[in-house]
Amino acid sequence: MISPTAILVGTIAVSIILAGLVAFRPSVTSSRGGKILAFVSILLFPMLAASMGVDEHVERSKTTAFCTSCHVMENHGKSLHVDDASYLPAAHFQNNRVPRDKACYTCHTDYTLYGGFKSKLRGMQHLYVQYLGKIPEKIELYNAYNNRECLHCHGGARSFEEGATHNLEDDRLDLIKSNQLSCLSTGCHEVAHKVESLKEMKFWTEGDRP
Amino acid sequence: MTATAKVSKMQHRIRTSSTLVLLGLIVELVSLLWSHPTAFIVFLVLSASLMGLGILIYFYSLVSIPESSTVSESPGKSHL
Repeated sequence: MISPTAILVGTIAVSIILAGLVAFRPSVTSSRGGKILAFVSILLFPMLAASMGVDEHVERSKTTAFCTSCHVMENHGKSLHVDDASYLPAAHFQNNRVPRDKACYTCHTDYTLYGGFKSKLRGMQHLYVQYLGKIPEKIELYNAYNNRECLHCHGGARSFEEGATHNLEDDRLDLIKSNQLSCLSTGCHEVAHKVESLKEMKFWTEGDRP
Repeated sequence: MTATAKVSKMQHRIRTSSTLVLLGLIVELVSLLWSHPTAFIVFLVLSASLMGLGILIYFYSLVSIPESSTVSESPGKSHL
């Protein structure tokens, strides 16, 4: 099975050869066939290569390795390996409740029609802050975390619908589902990355045995 | 301007546009070597700009040269 990256590299290679031919021998465009060659090598193939390149880079930007490659995200990446089940991101990451290679993207993308697009715009905002802006001392979400992102997977699940804590009051479940009561409320699933306390924590690595 | 001069001007523009596109493609290939936001920026800013400029110059070369300056015409051939 040929990978999409290999197909992209092949397309770019063919485009380079064709564009190079026209660049070094522009006289080939004198004939009708040469004009068609110029059209294909300057317009069609480069546009194809560029659009495939955009797709490849966007797919790479969804990976956990991509997100944690920036120094500012190093501790958030470490928090995924904390050996403490109360750490929400760590529990999800280590138990494959989210795909490990796209852990950040899975939780930090809004599950709406333009969710993926909005998250890409936020990514561009991150890039701007990282390279042209001022990185804040404390990294915080731009908006409060919406329960919808949790309920995309947990909604309808027996453990959620019938959980004792979720049904302590008659309207608690409705409040959670309508985002009026955050899943991350104090006393509930409140521990997210908590990077300020990483120094005191133990870490899990894949392959560790008890 | 003679037909030959017009043709060489067009070929010069095609050479320029194809060179820019070629450079953009090479930058794109290089940007695939590492997975990092800087690679994304290099691709988006540098590669896309080079290719975009090359394509624009190509379009300009198509519309800027009058129809009558075609080299493929054989001498003495007339058009109605």
